[in-house]
Order: sequence, then C-alpha cells, then structure tokens
Amino acid sequence: MQLRSRGRGRLCRTLGLLTANLFVVTGVQAQQAPSGSNEATPSTELVSDEAPQSDLGMTRIDTSVLFYQEDGGRVRTIEPVALATLNADNGDILTVKLTSDTLTGATPNGATPWTSTQTFTTPAHAPGTQSVVTGSSGGSKLVTIPGVGTIVRQYSTAPNQLPVDAGFRDQREAIDLGYSSQLNADTSLSGGLGGSVERDYTSLTGSLGGARDFNHKNTTLSASFNFEYDLSRPYFGTPTPLTVMSGDPKGPSASKRVYNVVLGVTQVMTRRWLLELNYSYGSTQGYQTDPYLIISVVDPTGAPLEYLYESRPNTRTRESVYMDNRIAVGPTFADLTARYYWDSWGIKSVTVGASDRIPLIGGLYVEPEGRYYDQTAASFFHNYLLSTQPIPTYASSDSRLSKFSAVTAGARIGLKVGSTGELYLEGERYIQTGVNHPAGAPGALAMENLFSGVSATSFVLGYTFAFY
Amino acid sequence: MRRASVSMTATGVLSRIEGGYLHSFRAMASPCELRVLCDDEALSARLGRMVENEALRIERKFSRYRDDSVIGRINKAGGAAVEVDEETAGLLDYADRIYALSGGRFDITSGVLRRLWRFDGSDRIPSAAEVRSLLPLIGWRKVVWRDRRLALRAGMEIDFGGLGKEYAVDRCLLMVQAAAPATPALVNFGGDLRVSGPRADGSRWRVAIESVDGGQTYEGWLEIASGALTTSGDARRFLLKDGIRYSHILDPRTGWPVRDPPRSVTVAAATCLEAGLLSSLAMMHGRDAEAFLAREGVKAWWVRDDAATGAVTKNAS
Repeated sequence: MQLRSRGRGRLCRTLGLLTANLFVVTGVQAQQAPSGSNEATPSTELVSDEAPQSDLGMTRIDTSVLFYQEDGGRVRTIEPVALATLNADNGDILTVKLTSDTLTGATPNGATPWTSTQTFTTPAHAPGTQSVVTGSSGGSKLVTIPGVGTIVRQYSTAPNQLPVDAGFRDQREAIDLGYSSQLNADTSLSGGLGGSVERDYTSLTGSLGGARDFNHKNTTLSASFNFEYDLSRPYFGTPTPLTVMSGDPKGPSASKRVYNVVLGVTQVMTRRWLLELNYSYGSTQGYQTDPYLIISVVDPTGAPLEYLYESRPNTRTRESVYMDNRIAVGPTFADLTARYYWDSWGIKSVTVGASDRIPLIGGLYVEPEGRYYDQTAASFFHNYLLSTQPIPTYASSDSRLSKFSAVTAGARIGLKVGSTGELYLEGERYIQTGVNHPAGAPGALAMENLFSGVSATSFVLGYTFAFY
Repeated sequence: MRRASVSMTATGVLSRIEGGYLHSFRAMASPCELRVLCDDEALSARLGRMVENEALRIERKFSRYRDDSVIGRINKAGGAAVEVDEETAGLLDYADRIYALSGGRFDITSGVLRRLWRFDGSDRIPSAAEVRSLLPLIGWRKVVWRDRRLALRAGMEIDFGGLGKEYAVDRCLLMVQAAAPATPALVNFGGDLRVSGPRADGSRWRVAIESVDGGQTYEGWLEIASGALTTSGDARRFLLKDGIRYSHILDPRTGWPVRDPPRSVTVAAATCLEAGLLSSLAMMHGRDAEAFLAREGVKAWWVRDDAATGAVTKNAS
C-alpha cells in the first residue's frame, strides 16, 4: 500500500500537542523512566497542581470591567477590557486586547491649599474652536477677559481645601496586539504592537523578545526590548515650564520616546517552587512634564503669590530588579514578589507583595493579597516654591514624585465554570501615606495638609473561558 | 478486559526470534508482546518484565472491573467527588480536551451504553425508549472535574476504553527506550503498537492488518520505521436486523451506532494514543470517515463494504 503524506489538519495537530503534554504531565519523559522492573512512579516538571491547564489549540476569551474610585470624589475610572488569546496548532500565540477607559472626576492641580479662596485661570480651549463646558463639570466657568476678548476658564478652591481641577474627563481607547512563535522546542520569539488614543494624548508601543529554555526546561533565559512613542497634545497647547499660569494659548504638542530592556531568568527550584528574576533598564527622552500641573510660589507667610507651570528634566533613566517566587504550599498556591527600583530623578522605591490562592469547595477559590510600597522623593520635588529664593530649573509638586508609602490589601474570589471557564471578582483597597506637614513650611502653610496623594477602592469583575 | 484474564505478576514468556527476543504475556484482555532486536538475553528478559509489570500496573490502576482501581472508586462513589492522583488527573484532563476537540464524539462516560448494546452478531436492537432512558447518564459535560476531584452524577460511569491500552503502549515503549536507547523495540498490545525506530539493520518493521472477517487471513501488510499503528474495526462485532448492519461504534451523542462506518480503519501516528484516537474518531464519522481522514491529513488505510453492491474497497490516504 502506498503512503501519501499531507499537511496535518487542525484536530490532528492539536491532538499531537495534547498527547505530548500528557506525557509531560504524567511524567514519562524518556530520561525519567525507571530502568528496572519497578513500578513506574509518575513525576512531573510542573511546579504546581494549581497551575492553569495549558490552552493548547484553544481560543481563550477574557472579559472584565474595572471600577476604580479615588476617595474624596476624585478620579473615577470605568475600564472594560476584552482579551482574546488564539493558541494556534503549531504553538504560536496571537493576543488581541481592547481596552476602553472613561476617566472622570477631579485631579489635584499641584497648588498648595491656602486659608482663603484661590482662583485658577486656564485657557478655555485652543483658539478658533468652540468649547462647551457644562455646569456639571465641577463649577468651572468660562470668562471673557475684558478688552482682550480671550475666553478663559476659571475655577476656584475653597479655603483650606486641596486645589483640584474638577473639569477632568477623558476617554481612552487602546489596542494591543501580541504574537509569539515557538521557533523550536526550546526557543520562542515574541513581538507586540500597541496604540492608545485620548483626546490629548497618543501613545504607540512596540516590543520584541526572545526566550530560550535550558537544562531540560528547568531554566529559561529571556530578553525583551520595548519602544514607546508618546505625543502629548494638551487641549490648550503645551505651556512653557515655569511660566505663570494664565489663559493665554500655549505652545505646540510635545513628544517623548521610551526605550526599555528587560533581561530575565526563570528557574525551577523544586517541583513546587518557581523563581523568576528580572533586571530592567529604561531610558526616556523628551517631554515628561505634566502640562496641566502647576506649583505655587508662596511668600514667607505661606500665601500664594503666583502659580507656575511645573518643569521636569527631559531625560530619565530607570532601573529595577524584580523577584517573583511562585510556591505551591499544600493545596494553596503562593506568590511572593519583591522589587527594587531607582532612577536618575532620585526616586528609589521598594515593593513587596504576597498572595495566596486557597481552594475552597466546589471549584471556588479565594486569593487574598497584600502589597507594600515605599519611595523616596524626586530631587526636584517641592510642595511649593519660596518667592524669596531663586526658581530652580526643575520643580514639580506632583505627589507621585513625593516621598510616600502605600499599602494595598485585597482579595480575589473565583469560581471555576466548566473545564476552562472562570468567573472572578477582585476587590482592592489602596492607601497612600505621605508627608502631610513637611518641616519648614512657612507661615500658615504649616497648618495645611500638603500631601495630595490618593486612596482608592477598586473592583474587577471578569469572566474567562476557552474553546476549540 | 474480562476479569478472568487479569493476572497481576509477570508470567510472560521470553523466546528467541530472528535478530532478538520476544516477550509475550497477557494483559488488558489482549495478547501483548515486546520485541527487542539485540543478542543480550538478560537485557531482553529485564525489558520484558519491565513492560509486563507496567502494563499490569496500568490495568490494575484503571480497570473498570476492579472496585479498588481508580476508575472503580470513581464509578462506585455514587455521585460523590473522588480525588485522584497526578497520573489519573493527566489522563482525565486529556480526555476532557479530546471530548471538546472531538465535539463530544469521544466521551469516557459513554460506556453505560454497553448495558443496552451487546454486539454479538444477533438481531437484538434496543428500543428508542431504552436508548433514551440511558442518555441522562452519558455526557462528560455533566460531570464536575476540577482541582483533581471528579464527581459523576449517580449512575454515571467512566472508563478509559480507547485510551488505556494506547497509553500503556506509549509508556512502555518510552520506558524501553529510556532503559536501552540503542535497542530497536516494538511494543504491541492487542494490535495497538509502536516502534522505537527502524530495525537494527535500518529496515522497517512489517505489520499485518487483520482481516475484517476474522480468521487467519490478512487485509495487507504495512511497514513502519517509526511511530505507532492502531486499527479500529467491527470484525465480528456487529448486530444485523432487517438487513441493516449495526456497527459497534456507538455515538455517545445519540446512543445509537454510527451509520455506515468503514469496516476498519488503520492509522499511523507519532504515538499510539494519537493513532488510536484518530482511528476511532474516523469510525465515528461514519460515511464521512474518509473525508475526515483526508481533511486531517492522517496516514490511514481503510476497508469499506458497499452495502448495495457488496463490493469491498480498500484504500489508503
């Protein structure tokens, strides 16, 4: 009889992958088989029995919605995400992720609180375009400057309150595409492209990476390169740093480029312990100032004299080392992470985190998690500038550049549905603690709370499933 | 897998064959053999015992006739969840995925249909009502399988028919390869077979395909240098009523025999599990078996009766 070989069909190829996987799971790799007549003892390279099943040949859909609310009526985000992962029969993986964000609420504008009402003036819109500001956008109003005809927007902050711009609203749409290909049994290559668009911000990303297994797949070395191009298009133009806040139209759009390299090693330490170590180096060139943030210039009594647009360096290098331990402890599955970060702006930070997935009855599991974060301030962070001192080249009062620590506590509850599905709900509480009353604050500023960091509550509701 | 044939210690016989040794024994209700091509009698005997012990281990562990097997414990649990070991979990995950991949045609819960369908060549066809009454007990999606715990509905049963013997062949061949990498070997459990590679002189192994009508004649010879061969067929296992031949290939989705399957399908694949599943799935496609094999690009040989003309066609893809 004659043999004719053809390309193998989808079912056939998937079956081949499933079968190869079975012999990994049940432990009949050739080198592990017993040489005598003893009963074979199944063994495995899998680190945990709780590890998710492989999705060989399947398409996985993951949909979720994030609800995020900052305390004090500040930023609120609703973010639906749809992720499709297509696992091709030859081991290639295509991912398509669609994200849509809606952000509303108030954000601190960078000014210090003061004992009397403060009024802030900002351009209403780009010249020559219509602008509509509704009454619900936070009490701001359109004002025509007499004799000039320029329309500006003004908003006020009550005495002893943190100045916030309540007119904050944005919509972001993002798409991310990823492709990874198994070159041979030990080597994979991956690449990605992404883009996101907001009314005043556009971001494009690209990445390339490779990973190689050694030592019977007990060791994996990986390297990746990421590139990002961001275009900032503030609706009133880009202000010149350290000029006085005003309703005048500003300069053109500004951009920045980010390059990032990540080197990693993943090591199977024991059957129940997987260790991952990463080193990351990144360099950012270009406009990194927040065009909407200002900083107060105060006199020796602490009273604001004027508000300057903030200023940040055009270059920043960041480095970090990261460690992730995934450990099966009895029936539970723990994840312990630690990260140390430092950058050329003078920020050093430490993050430690832990979570533990605990199976309950009936396909239910609960996964409590906790995280602690602590950072030092950037060298050019100032809560305010003193009118009696020269203005520095760089100055920002952004709380994200200040010294603070943060605690996150949360839990995830999941319910397995069928053999590939899962319904999950995550809740998280995030609390920042900073320096509320920095030493040396002049006059009545010493009585004001100068830390503008956030505390927030978030929920994620998601459903994931896979099919052939 | 009749209980009478179950023996639990290595009692196989080693004999000299051309170029090597043959270890024969019985397990899983089938004649089983290991052929190794080498002159080392002690090594051959040791490999033979290893294979026999492994086959018996798998039979003991997964036999549906034993209450103390994993399968027995699951089937006797009366609907309660049973926690299983890693190897069983791997096989159940595998069965779970094949169930999805095959659109429900491969279903390890379908064994209860044997209560109704006895393919003894008679004309005893169950009634539609009888078949319908069994359907609530069939369907892998009705079980709860997660966290290494399997719970069947009361009255449901599972078995590893279509998996167990093929899995045993693959495991045994891999163990022989690990223990004696340079020794060409062939593992054959009741016609499901796999070879380690070419014979010592580089030639292929010759394998006969059994006649669909039984007896000592052969449909033909195949030669393989690597991988596995299995054959699915209905030789001697069918029902005949009113001129309609009911094959023993039951569709778990309907509870009825598949219409117009080939008399036999032989498939070559890398592993015995793949070959076995592909040959059974081809049969399950009935009159579309050949189209299925062609679509999947499977190396296969089949024999089909033309019901109208009585002609027998043999073909290969």
